[in-house]
Amino acid sequence: MGRVARGDEGAFTELVGRYGGRLLGVARRLLGSRADAEDAVQRALLQCYLGAGTYRSEWAVSTWLYRILTNVCVDELRRRKSRAGELEPPARPHPPDAHLDLRRALSRVPTEARVLLALRYVDGLSYGELARIRGISINTVKSQLQRGKSLLKSALIKGGAV
Amino acid sequence: MKKPSVDDILTRYFAPAADAGDLAKQVLTAARESARQSGRLLDRISIQTTPLGVSLIRAERLEKPATAAARRLAERAREELSEYFEGKRAFFSVPVDLSEAPDFQRKVLAAARRIPFGEVRPYAWVAQHIGHPRAVRAVGTALGRNPVPFIVPCHRVLQTGGGLGGYLFGTDVKSRLLSLERTTPVYEGCTSTHIVCRVGCVHGRHMRPDNRVVFASVDDARSIGYRPCKVCKPQAA
Repeated sequence: MGRVARGDEGAFTELVGRYGGRLLGVARRLLGSRADAEDAVQRALLQCYLGAGTYRSEWAVSTWLYRILTNVCVDELRRRKSRAGELEPPARPHPPDAHLDLRRALSRVPTEARVLLALRYVDGLSYGELARIRGISINTVKSQLQRGKSLLKSALIKGGAV
Repeated sequence: MKKPSVDDILTRYFAPAADAGDLAKQVLTAARESARQSGRLLDRISIQTTPLGVSLIRAERLEKPATAAARRLAERAREELSEYFEGKRAFFSVPVDLSEAPDFQRKVLAAARRIPFGEVRPYAWVAQHIGHPRAVRAVGTALGRNPVPFIVPCHRVLQTGGGLGGYLFGTDVKSRLLSLERTTPVYEGCTSTHIVCRVGCVHGRHMRPDNRVVFASVDDARSIGYRPCKVCKPQAA
């Protein structure tokens, strides 16, 4: 990380190689489309590259990257929500998709719980790490995950998937 | 066959995506680009104030503030604009003085101010909003003569087809402002105080960058135990 902070492009490329796929995974599942996810990850990585000096060495690099990425994704979700309030979303027929039920169910889960679920299930992050990423207590993490999962479950039961 | 549990479904759904490709290269290119592009807009503008608020922002030299109150407002406006251009402010709290503007223009500017940060509306939307749906051209003219650009966000008004329309400082500045707003968050919380503010609040200025978390709404922040700031009152935004 120190090398990245000094502007070492090789070190940065290595960092992206190591974490890029997982970051994309989280962003894709939070934002839905691959294009939006790539855009978000790119913006997050740019912030990482320019702000590498603010990295605290007592944090795992992944925690720091995920914090920045979730910040970008959450803001993107805010923009979508307010856009949806203003304009009617286009009624596009969905392509057949095995994940469609889940995606629909997930869209009912409140943003914060959804973010935690994505981080937990893409990378198997620990409660402690999730707590540090969103700046909350471990108990809040647990109750949010629980709440998210029970909302999901009831939505999926209604859809007949579980 | 046993039906899968929620845990199984989630694990499968969230399996990591494919490789990152040449993301690193793209980001490095963007970093170089942004370093090159940081031509300072703030150095190009002059601000004129009355004791009531900002009355004019233009590229040419303007009258110096006449009173101490006006001077203070000019300083405050410059500071807020500087933070805005750096992506560290999502609202303006400095007052504007539009008493010189004609009635119609004042209505148009008030409608433009209602467009949320980071969003855009067509000229026709503004016309509709002020109750003159056919006065689209007049709306365009009124916005083009906006005495206080940036603070009254006339740059968020575009042509119906998505075309940029015109802008006082040129359309390249207009599109730069729009992409700046697209990457500036609106709500941020501090992980040590658990207070959520609008980006640009005095509280946020003292926040360490590594304590910053972004929220999609004040309700979301509340749901995980953050409370709204009493200074910037984000719930009213």
